[in-house]
Amino acid sequence: MSEAVGGTVHEAMSISEKITEGMGIKTVFTIDAFGLKIPISDTVISMWIVMALIILAAFILTRKMREIPKKPQLMLEACIGFMDDFAKEKIGHHARTFLPFLGTIFIFLIVANLAPMLTPAGTGLYAGQMEPLFVIKPLTRDINVTAALAIIVIVTVFFSSIIIRGPVGYLKHLVHPTPVMLPFNIMEYAIKPLSLCLRLFGNILGAYIIMLLIECVVPIAIPPLAGLYFDLFDGLIQAVVFAFLSTIYIAEAVE
Amino acid sequence: MDVQTAACIGAGIAVLTGLGAGFGIPIATGKTSEAIARQPEASGKITGSFLLGIALAEATAIYGLVVALLLIFK
Repeated sequence: MSEAVGGTVHEAMSISEKITEGMGIKTVFTIDAFGLKIPISDTVISMWIVMALIILAAFILTRKMREIPKKPQLMLEACIGFMDDFAKEKIGHHARTFLPFLGTIFIFLIVANLAPMLTPAGTGLYAGQMEPLFVIKPLTRDINVTAALAIIVIVTVFFSSIIIRGPVGYLKHLVHPTPVMLPFNIMEYAIKPLSLCLRLFGNILGAYIIMLLIECVVPIAIPPLAGLYFDLFDGLIQAVVFAFLSTIYIAEAVE
Repeated sequence: MDVQTAACIGAGIAVLTGLGAGFGIPIATGKTSEAIARQPEASGKITGSFLLGIALAEATAIYGLVVALLLIFK
């Protein structure tokens, strides 16, 4: 559609068009299975790539474990030790129960937020001359991904609270300081996942849109520098914040 | 005034929620630096509560951004 208009109009159109295109989730192909048409969006494909990366890393790093560790195993042990200490400090003696869950969320979010740096940016790099085959866009810019993660976290919080406190203890916890707090304690089960979901989604999408804008306006020199903040730092911080808040929620549910 | 114009103005107003985060997070950062300067050995715990605080303070700004995006693109 943009070929029809030329010159300055084309330039003015292209920025808003690129941003709208970057925000939208494209359907790459559809699978026909069991009489259903299942659309596979680029988020799902990015997710597969992220999953493949994590599985591959887990497979390579945990092969040939030995008593006196070498470099990869040392690195892995340092990471696990860090997460273990953190979970112990926050959750207490139930830490080992929740460590695999929280660690998985943390590692998944870090890899998901850093994976877009594996492929070229796509907008500014080739001046529109060449299209890369597939561009991994940050997959947490899709609200479905963050909503799913937030729902998983809040379901874990709910059931772990019931199982560890017992049904009576759970009901007592609902009216914990005073019975007046009951509606607010129940409302927390809606507010917590909503804020978790929207925080991650909004941050990543905001950073992504700003990077698109920068790449459209100044395609040279500035994007790598700005990308250090918006892609690397922001992605890492949001992964940490999400895992941190999940830990806090679980900790106060089972304390 | 047609709907699109009104939506754009609304999006601009929604993004004003960023003011709160813009005022709040620097205060928290300054206090954190002060606290770490006083007690460097407690920096781990201070950083933890700082991260939690800025995550919660930032939430309002993010809600504004999401509302603005919904107004513009939907």
